[in-house]
Amino acid sequence: MKANDIFNFRRFGKYFASDLRTCWVNYGLSLLTISTIFPIGTYFLTNTFNLVLNSTWDGPDIGLRSFIFIVATICMVVTMPVKCYGKITEKQYGSFFLTLPASRLEKFVSMFLMTCIIAPVLGFALHLGTDAIICALDHTCGRNLVTGAMELIRNMGEMKELTLNFVDESITIENAALAQDLIRQISSPWLYADEIFGITLPFLLGALYFKRGKTVKTILAIFAFSMATSIIMTPYMETWAAEMVSNANADTNTILQMFNNGIFKNLVLIDTISDTVVNLALMAGIWFRIKTLKH
Amino acid sequence: MIRIKDLGFSYGDYVVLKNITMNLEEGHIYGLLGENGVGKTTLLTLLCGLKKVKEGSIETDGENPFDRRPSFLSDQYYLSDEVAPMNMKAVEYARYYGKFWDGFDMEEFIEIMKELDTDPEQKMTRMSFGQLKKTYISFALACRTKYLFMDEPTNGLDIPSKAQFRKAVTKHTREDSVIVISTHQVRDLENIIDPIIILDRQDVLLNASMEEISEQLIFDYSNERQEDALYCEMIPGGNIQVLRNLSGEESKVNLEALFNTVHQNKEIIKEIFNK
Repeated sequence: MKANDIFNFRRFGKYFASDLRTCWVNYGLSLLTISTIFPIGTYFLTNTFNLVLNSTWDGPDIGLRSFIFIVATICMVVTMPVKCYGKITEKQYGSFFLTLPASRLEKFVSMFLMTCIIAPVLGFALHLGTDAIICALDHTCGRNLVTGAMELIRNMGEMKELTLNFVDESITIENAALAQDLIRQISSPWLYADEIFGITLPFLLGALYFKRGKTVKTILAIFAFSMATSIIMTPYMETWAAEMVSNANADTNTILQMFNNGIFKNLVLIDTISDTVVNLALMAGIWFRIKTLKH
Repeated sequence: MIRIKDLGFSYGDYVVLKNITMNLEEGHIYGLLGENGVGKTTLLTLLCGLKKVKEGSIETDGENPFDRRPSFLSDQYYLSDEVAPMNMKAVEYARYYGKFWDGFDMEEFIEIMKELDTDPEQKMTRMSFGQLKKTYISFALACRTKYLFMDEPTNGLDIPSKAQFRKAVTKHTREDSVIVISTHQVRDLENIIDPIIILDRQDVLLNASMEEISEQLIFDYSNERQEDALYCEMIPGGNIQVLRNLSGEESKVNLEALFNTVHQNKEIIKEIFNK
């Protein structure tokens, strides 16, 4: 196979531009709606409840707005692949997609960029922009999400210390695990991207595999996969669980020692590797689907 | 050139195509005829790489169509029988997607659209099915590909449009192209297709040029009924009869009569044309 038949930047540019336009036509309005309705709706609902229940004009705090941001992000990444690429399983659109003169790799890369990068980035920008405008107009909301995130990044080192102190003060297995998770998320920004891919890619794969009920079937497939993984992993986790149970009432030093050894010590690395492997497997599935799709 | 060798295809246990062997050569517009469900669409989708060959082989200029290499795809166009509107004007669609086909000519697209009485500035979502079909036909022809596969292109077209379609196909295709048009409405393609391929369930009943057909068969419009006619049908003002051409006379091939003759005399026709 000639290199030109595998990937050609000029052709990819043309393909990506057409893909971008098609996605905008199919999903642009939904993206705008999700990214703006969620923060605006939260603002008005919170103020309405506060007025009715507390007789105060008090906007949603940063905690609630962060939660809404996560919900909006999930809604966006779950609906976007179906709207943009779901029609590929239909004969009329699918035939055109498959016979359009671009390579499988170009189609795959464009799909990946659109679903995992362009749409989330655009959605984030719109959501955060809307949030910033709301906070600028109404100071009862406090800091906007961007300022809050910037502050969090600036104080990352401090946060680690704070978390570890928190562990030292009221150490339990649950608190220690929570602390580990916090440290993991703060110390590895790649995991944020990895987790967005981890939510988006299964829905993209589902949009390409299932002919009907794409979102519901994908959720069921994720559920089934999680169940199967849990069953398979149970024998391996038994030792770890036994250690957890036996140390449930251990003193602080024992617990901290436990978290500095064995599987706990490399938790961040193990998590990153496992997430990356799953995402690579999902990407391979998407590529394979594009390769073998027939009409 | 497309070489089809011992091609077989089935949907589960249902065999559609079996042991199909034929060559499709440059400079011809092949008419792929057959009843509903005999595998016309399946054969077309196999030819353009939308399906994977399960038995036998298809080679298009030495390539397997299912590899779907961009260089190969840019020299072929497949027009599906079911077309869907894009949320844009016809001219925008042509501008956006035409650039993927090396031979695409925007001016020609506009010209064909005008010949087919369709407005290129109209939004595709507001078009009727016939207008949409004409838009895609215009696009397919303006791509000027070597291989052009059209599945039931005249479905949904009104009577004047069918004539315009025949004219456009004759006028706007490359001399070295291989065009395969499938239909079960044989009259729609009269005068433009040559050779004719008539498919039956799991079989090719006829694959012959118009010249070969008129060498072997006579289409007789006389009122006198012939005893040895392979096919006879009453038409206003007389009969149309199809007979074996034993005298070497020339007659105009009537596609509908030919199609019915082939279906009523499968073995005889195969014997005549496979000699």
